[in-house]
Amino acid sequence: MSFWQNISTYFSSEYYTFWVVSIGAGIICFAAGIVGTFSYLRKRALIGDVVSHAVLPGVAISFMLTGVKNPLYFLIGATTSGILSIWLVDFIQSKSKLKPDTILALTLSVFFGIGIVLLTKIQHSGDAAQSGLDSFLFGKAASMTMHDVIIFSIIALINTICIVVFLRAFSIISFDEEYAKSIGFNVKVIKSFLALLTVITVAIGIQSVGIVLMAALLITPASGARFLTNSVKKMLVYAGIFALFSGFSGVIISSSGKAMPTGPWIVVVLSIFTIIAIFFGKEKGVIARMRTRKSNNIKINNENTLKTIYKLSKEGNESISRDQLINNQSTTQFKPTLKRLEKNQILIRVNESVILTEKGKLAAREVIRKHRLWEIYLSKYFNLDPDHLHDDAEGIEHIITPEIEKHLITLLNRPEKDPHQSEIPY
Amino acid sequence: MEIPIIEAHNLTVLYGRKPAIWNVDFKLPEGQVIGIMGPNGSGKSTLLKAIMGVVKPTTGYTKLYDQELEKVRHKVSYVPQRQEIDWDFPASVWDVVSMGRFRVRGIFKRLTSEDNDIIKESLGKVNMLGFAKRQISQLSGGQQQRVFLARALAQQGELFLMDEPFAGVDVATEELIIDLLKDMKSNGKTLIIVHHDLHTAQSYFDHLVLMNTRLVACGKTSDVFTDQILTDTYGGKLTTIAKISQELENKEFPIRHR
Repeated sequence: MSFWQNISTYFSSEYYTFWVVSIGAGIICFAAGIVGTFSYLRKRALIGDVVSHAVLPGVAISFMLTGVKNPLYFLIGATTSGILSIWLVDFIQSKSKLKPDTILALTLSVFFGIGIVLLTKIQHSGDAAQSGLDSFLFGKAASMTMHDVIIFSIIALINTICIVVFLRAFSIISFDEEYAKSIGFNVKVIKSFLALLTVITVAIGIQSVGIVLMAALLITPASGARFLTNSVKKMLVYAGIFALFSGFSGVIISSSGKAMPTGPWIVVVLSIFTIIAIFFGKEKGVIARMRTRKSNNIKINNENTLKTIYKLSKEGNESISRDQLINNQSTTQFKPTLKRLEKNQILIRVNESVILTEKGKLAAREVIRKHRLWEIYLSKYFNLDPDHLHDDAEGIEHIITPEIEKHLITLLNRPEKDPHQSEIPY
Repeated sequence: MEIPIIEAHNLTVLYGRKPAIWNVDFKLPEGQVIGIMGPNGSGKSTLLKAIMGVVKPTTGYTKLYDQELEKVRHKVSYVPQRQEIDWDFPASVWDVVSMGRFRVRGIFKRLTSEDNDIIKESLGKVNMLGFAKRQISQLSGGQQQRVFLARALAQQGELFLMDEPFAGVDVATEELIIDLLKDMKSNGKTLIIVHHDLHTAQSYFDHLVLMNTRLVACGKTSDVFTDQILTDTYGGKLTTIAKISQELENKEFPIRHR
């Protein structure tokens, strides 16, 4: 079978369920990912966990009351007990001295405990209609129908529209709730509305990914997205895309082998995304920070070498031999540093010797100036002895910006000599 | 005094059983720089929050311009304490200052070019125009404070309530804020500032509210900045009031029967 034939079988009718499930999972993950971004921004990551566990008693009670497994009744029951749990958390917080994490853990376990008790009771009731209720625990994505996908799409659409419309309100209460109150925004209503969206999303989502993993769908996309951007809008977009893709590919991976659970695979893919974001994020990412560190090291090596050459050339010969240089400085990566300086027209190499260019001399004087200014600053403002100044200045000279240098010069009244009586080269 | 710009009557705010502010009464004049001072935990911030409706008074009320807060809210700007905010939030300086226009535009309406001009002008007044696109997580303490001031300026109010604007800022920012305050005062604005540094109180403020959970004194700085009143505010009374408050909290005792 050729590759294209192989691909085309995926679009045949026998793969209908496969597509329904993967698209459905993608959509519900998307819905959770964007609304969960605000749970993340409001530092209420654990609230998602509480709510998803707290919906269980609601589900059980709605079955006990109606005796049928109707997704709508489940939704009503789940939403009610989810909201109840949030209200309880807020209530305990306002009335007791318990710490927030204690309250969250307490509420979560009480609700989940009651849910499990009720569920066990139902399972032992001998009612045949109850079979499959336990799938709420770990989710049962494979049984997703087109009907579910439509419901997922509706909640995804509602979340998207509400977030677009209320972006300003949701952002401001996440950043500075008290200021929002002070300009007359009805913070209570905005918060309740956001909570309602979250609870409904959770209540719908647990039917396919399960209670245990639902919280991950809310928080993981946002925490990955945070590494990639510094804007709430872009965070929402990234979180949405992460979640959509993870839901989709989680199903594909889990259907590729036997006994591969869907929910956990979705979470695994999401986590991989987050880890990638942690590595490759600009500014905050691990790689970006490694790059910054490397460029810092290069700067330090460059400037130290420059200083050594300048000082040696002032002591005598204009051109400095390699051996002289090596004897006088401790810089590692000697060769690449010289090469870089040559490339930047800081120095010229003649045979085995180096000579500073005019540009190089200026640059060297700048570093020395910063070094000595810092020494004066330290000795003047912190009363340090002259022999304690050098090491400190040796590090700081590389990070003094022109702005700070200017500030230092004015602060110190443009000094002529440093504490060691060396001249300051302006 | 003509119509006081702020009047507090019997104002009490309880956190649980513990009074943060307790039966506070005062009237404040318009067009002045007014300091609210007292030791740590004496309810200064809570007082501002109660005036702004951020916390609900347990009893009593405040009036601004002799009216309910809701009717004059457009005239009042609040500058919260810088340290209470997570500055790692994904937003730029511009984003934060533009919040100052949300009162006028509401939750839904887009900001206009007029709003943008006002935001620019406000940023200019605190010397932060060059930082408009900067991420707020990269700002120094002083710069953060300037951003908060710019946000309040963008509201174009008449009355400014500032919570510790001088706390943890650099000298340059402190000087800038002082100049800004003078400028605002000469334009007829009223400034109410929570402050904790006694050394600068006399030079900064025309009027003082000295409190320690209860109101100790309120009046012209020259009248109330006396050794006796300062001792009352910062000295012996602290322990008595603190002890009583602690008892109230521990024993869950009501401060009055209702």
